Amino acid sequence: MEPIVDGNEYTYYLVGHVDDFTERLGRVVHLGKEEIAVFKTTDGQIYALENKSPGPRGGTIAEGIISGQVLFDPICDWQISLADGHVLDPDTGQVRTYPVDVLGDEVRIGLFKNEGGEFHE
Amino acid sequence: MVKVQERRHLVLIGNGMAGINTVEQILKLAPSTYRITVFGSEPYPNYNRIQLSYVLEKSKAVEDIILNDWDWYLENGIELYTGTTVTHIDTEQKIVKADNGMEVPYDTLIIATGSTPFILPVPGADKEGIVGFRDIADCQNMLHAADQYKKAAVIGGGLLGLEAAKGLLKLGMDVTVVHLFEEIMERQLDHTASLMLQAELESQGLKFATGKQTEEFLGDDRVSGIRFSDGTTLDAEFVVMAVGIRPNTALAKESGIEVNRGILVDDFMRTSVPDIYAVGECNEHRGISYGLVAPLFEQGAVLAKHLCGVDTKPYEGSVVSTQLKISGVDVFSAGEFMDAEGLSIVRVHDDWRRIYKKVLLRNGRIVGGVLVGDGKESSRLQQWIRTGTVMTEAIHNAIVGQASAETVNTVADLADEEIVCGCNGVTKKHIVDAINEKGLTTVEEIKVATSASRSCGGCRPVVEQILQYVLGDKYDSAAAKQEAICTCTTLSRDEVVTAIKEKGLITSKEVRYALEWDNPEGCSKCRPALNYYLGMIWPAEHVDEKDSRFVNERMHANIQKDGTFGVVPRMYGGVTTPEDLRLIADIAVKYNIKLVKVTGGQRLDLLGVKKEDLPKIWQDLGMPSGYAYAKALRTVKTCVGSQFCRFGTKDSMGMGIILEKKFERLDMPAKFKLAVNGCPRNCAESSTKDIGIVGNEGAWEIYVGGNGGIKARLAELLCKVRTDEELLEIVSAFMQHYRETGKYLERTSEWIERRGLKSVTEAVVNDLDNRRALAERMEVALAQVKEPWSEILNNSNLRERMFEEISVSTKQD
Repeated sequence: MEPIVDGNEYTYYLVGHVDDFTERLGRVVHLGKEEIAVFKTTDGQIYALENKSPGPRGGTIAEGIISGQVLFDPICDWQISLADGHVLDPDTGQVRTYPVDVLGDEVRIGLFKNEGGEFHE
Repeated sequence: MVKVQERRHLVLIGNGMAGINTVEQILKLAPSTYRITVFGSEPYPNYNRIQLSYVLEKSKAVEDIILNDWDWYLENGIELYTGTTVTHIDTEQKIVKADNGMEVPYDTLIIATGSTPFILPVPGADKEGIVGFRDIADCQNMLHAADQYKKAAVIGGGLLGLEAAKGLLKLGMDVTVVHLFEEIMERQLDHTASLMLQAELESQGLKFATGKQTEEFLGDDRVSGIRFSDGTTLDAEFVVMAVGIRPNTALAKESGIEVNRGILVDDFMRTSVPDIYAVGECNEHRGISYGLVAPLFEQGAVLAKHLCGVDTKPYEGSVVSTQLKISGVDVFSAGEFMDAEGLSIVRVHDDWRRIYKKVLLRNGRIVGGVLVGDGKESSRLQQWIRTGTVMTEAIHNAIVGQASAETVNTVADLADEEIVCGCNGVTKKHIVDAINEKGLTTVEEIKVATSASRSCGGCRPVVEQILQYVLGDKYDSAAAKQEAICTCTTLSRDEVVTAIKEKGLITSKEVRYALEWDNPEGCSKCRPALNYYLGMIWPAEHVDEKDSRFVNERMHANIQKDGTFGVVPRMYGGVTTPEDLRLIADIAVKYNIKLVKVTGGQRLDLLGVKKEDLPKIWQDLGMPSGYAYAKALRTVKTCVGSQFCRFGTKDSMGMGIILEKKFERLDMPAKFKLAVNGCPRNCAESSTKDIGIVGNEGAWEIYVGGNGGIKARLAELLCKVRTDEELLEIVSAFMQHYRETGKYLERTSEWIERRGLKSVTEAVVNDLDNRRALAERMEVALAQVKEPWSEILNNSNLRERMFEEISVSTKQD
């Protein structure tokens, strides 16, 4: 399927359907060269974050525990806001987030234009 | 288009402790400010130079002292050039040039070239067999020499020389320490301490030639001896020079940077040239070039903050302390150490126990100290010296070692900037401020607010003391003991468990709702805990909540720091077959396993498995999960026992396998380890297990509450039983009693201290009715367990959602 290109900065790619994601269980999506952790919260919202722990010991975040709109990092137990990737007090840092677009039951994730397409292949 | 801001380029010359420590701190403070390139002359990643003496005495391997492995550089995007020496800095063009022709431009440059051993300028110093003791290559030289030669001399009776000498002695060489002065370590120890140390080292086999000035090295190409200024000689086929170090300044000097003994720096490690800094042993700050690790870390902290634009106090010099790293010898020295006018001195000299302690006071304030034979107070003493603490009755008692009615309030003595939690770098002031400003009343709250005690938990008692100290009368020890299970609720473990039973709550959502949790979906503390308590209370009714499991228990594999997993199949009692081993080997090859490790629990760990490959490997293995990741029975370690061993009185392997098969897969409050031994020689190490069983002629002894982990504890004898049936029943009752009364994540070692061995013995041994009831409830719980790997393999939906990743191409066609 053709990716949807919005008027501004992002190109959105279809990565699956709402039912492909389980509530409060992360799933890894490889989109081009990006490794993304996708989470569905209890209220059905879908979030996409770079699958990379902001903590000092590194690791991935897709396996963390989800509570509300907060992710508990599985390695360092830091709390990460799913909405904007900010690490909550007392720790600091930020995880990159990707825009998510749900149309019907189709889930799309946006990449900057220069990150997608043949640019990366 | 989004314009990517070009990051500033930071070049570090010197891949050692000072430079890399600075880089680590920069990465912590401002991870994306700099693009970083590192040059190192040695062919290794950054290692712990202080621990070279351990490598020399073979108590550690080179790999053990690596501080930042190759992956660390990769993960942090650092470009590393090892075996590459920078030969010139063009300070005008801002370019460094290396011996291999590389030219790299920099925006900011840190010189951390360290120091080299000072080689005595006497005839023959260039002969073969004369080395310094500075890096891994030197260490390997020394190890090599020990294989070939017998007689060694170490020139220099200071810290480094003594460590080198002790290392060579341990390698079987005949070692003489040559020292210019009459007393060894004369720059750190007074007369008495020096003599005590020498006597101790002599008793361990070292020889000393003190008051000897080296005049010439004898021999042809290779050294054969040393001639001293008094005309005497010493045979030596191998010589280590440890008379001192000299900052490596040649590069800086040659590049036009101001140099004295070391590279001159100000209080922010700035050299005379803009954008060029020097840190560690290569620099000279206020006239001092340090040769110890603590000052260079302190310098690194200031430099990192400065480079990241974080407000920092200037570096104003360090109080250095010395500690000899030789096994079996405790020597510590800091600040002033010699008797002098105007000093009052507290001294303990005990020849029988071979202890010497000396604390020096000026106007009542502690300004220095020496400890020999008993280094227990060394870290506090150093702190007192650094802050110029006034001597008090309590400190005096602590030093003199008299038991006083009032123990020293160690917490009150701690300086504000003293680091309490080493894992997370939390100071006393952080904690005190958090308690005062946020009105904290429990350790748990302090943990959340400051991160103190969050990682290894070793500092928890100190954190609790600080809390007690700050709150004074308001500190409620009962509240502390009945601490809330997490910050989502004020209820303790016991209150929650009682409520679950009384109100008949089955799901964790119900618990959080009925018990009015602050956070409706809980947190990473209470989610796994509630899931455990519910499963324990309602074994048949509760449905396991996968989303509340820690990653390892959810994926049924151990996650590693690179996001891959470890797979450990069951190997009951540590017993396997050639067929199984062959199968494991074939699978390891098929899936390109990075490492196969024999675990501490007598089985094999396949490391470096990709998440998607987990189910495939399980399928191919066809073996049950070893639960190496779970809060459950891990392994039953066994010795060979009566089946083969000539000492074995009991069939330990047989009993171990029965126990492992019976109790595997059952959720416990924390991980749980067993061992079964065929005789009291205890080869399977019962004393550090949750349950350790020791076979005797005609009886089994059951030990409980042992732990070999962070807080080591020896197991205590619970009881002796005659028959296998009794053994199984008591083990079963003990495990169930622990399941029913333990706090989530509380090991039996802590649990038994909390509840008391006596009460546990009463419940699971003496009270026969209770024992039987516990064992019966255990059977109900055991009836519910399922093998997780095959469960996932048989559920394609679960398998897909949990283990399969989605791949989408971004190529437009």
